[in-house]
Amino acid sequence: MTDPLNTLREPITPVDPDPAFAAELRSRLERALLAPQGATMTTTVETPSQTLGCYLAVNDARSALDFYELAFGARRRGEPIVMDDGRIGHAELTIGDSVLMLADEFAEIGLLSPRTRGGASQSLYLRVSEPDAVDVTVRDAVEAGARLERAAADYDYGRNAVVVDPSGHRWMISSAPAATPAPKHGDLAYLTHAVADSGRARAFYGAVLGWTFTPGRVQDGWQIEGTNPPAGMHGGAAQPGIEPVYQVDDLVAALAAVHDHGGQAGEPRQQPYGRIAECIDDQGTHFQLLEP
Amino acid sequence: MRPDPALELLEVYDTALPHVHGYLLSRCRDRTLAQDLTAETFLAAVTAARQQPMPAITTGWLIGVARHKLADHWRRVEREQRGLQLVRTTAYQTNDPWDVEIDTVVAHQVLDALGAHHRAALTLRYLDGLPVAQVAEHLGRTVHATEALLVRARSAFRAAYENPEGVR
Repeated sequence: MTDPLNTLREPITPVDPDPAFAAELRSRLERALLAPQGATMTTTVETPSQTLGCYLAVNDARSALDFYELAFGARRRGEPIVMDDGRIGHAELTIGDSVLMLADEFAEIGLLSPRTRGGASQSLYLRVSEPDAVDVTVRDAVEAGARLERAAADYDYGRNAVVVDPSGHRWMISSAPAATPAPKHGDLAYLTHAVADSGRARAFYGAVLGWTFTPGRVQDGWQIEGTNPPAGMHGGAAQPGIEPVYQVDDLVAALAAVHDHGGQAGEPRQQPYGRIAECIDDQGTHFQLLEP
Repeated sequence: MRPDPALELLEVYDTALPHVHGYLLSRCRDRTLAQDLTAETFLAAVTAARQQPMPAITTGWLIGVARHKLADHWRRVEREQRGLQLVRTTAYQTNDPWDVEIDTVVAHQVLDALGAHHRAALTLRYLDGLPVAQVAEHLGRTVHATEALLVRARSAFRAAYENPEGVR
């Protein structure tokens, strides 16, 4: 079977850029050609703002620079300083908002890579944006030559893995736990507990489930802290009960569907968190619909 | 003394510029970005032209440099936005054969919305028509990893193509 994506093949169609751009680029090109060879075109490197950084001894600085680029998306910062004997005396990379400095081994002053010493005495802690990024970073690192020491796994504090780079440095790659996914159409978005006496209810659920409460927006209304889905409580209800709030993409369409299928649809009300309407299904159960 | 081989760049500049710019514009579909990458391409070519063995300085060679710049750009974007894209792309896996006629207008919109690593792989493989080994070289990955990436990229493309609402 042919691959349907093959039809995307797109030959190059020349497009003239803006003439001003073309002229400016030509003059930049001329300046670059005339610049002394070996000089770099990079601008001044700013001083890092972090209070604590790390400065690694590696057994092959040139390969290490390549490795950190491939494995961790590091970017070179300025040009490395090359000593008379060919060793790299100083080089800098940025990883995210951090600066990583490194140099070749200088055994004469006791600066040896962990590989030469026989193991690392510290770990470098690399924080990535979210749990799946731990796996991708580990994959890139291993592909670039790192050894996997501890496979990615989930812990209470987040997802975490350990790799050892070619110089022997030990990297812990971590992310915070995944955020709760946002509710979508049809999901239970919120639970409202209607109770007669909110003080007693708070004492009861506080003791049984460990819930804590903060005052809500309305009189005798309370937010239950940290539950999933989020929930609230209000006192003074004539008919105690629990009312679910379901999320919908289109409140008007959803209310029409409630009506068409034998339910009762209330009027939409605008609230700070979205438009909400009270409904009763065709057998008498109360619920609310929310379009955020 | 031999003349600086990079000086040839000025001779091919006027002819090559619309090709390099046209290539980048059609792949990234962003005027400003296409200009930035065009400039990066020519300035990088100065250094590349002085390397041994000396490359033949042609439009085709410059397109190759541009392709590297484009892949580098998407790699940077991927690093920066890694989290978001992964969430999107892990959702869909299928082995069903897919036999449709692709609407190229929709396909470009889908490509624009895909994660940078998927977009890079699909652009090099399908728009540029490169073999997998060359795609791998541009992306700085092994052939095996690139094959796996292409499978995931195709799945993400198909999911987004079949359900354009899901792409945001």
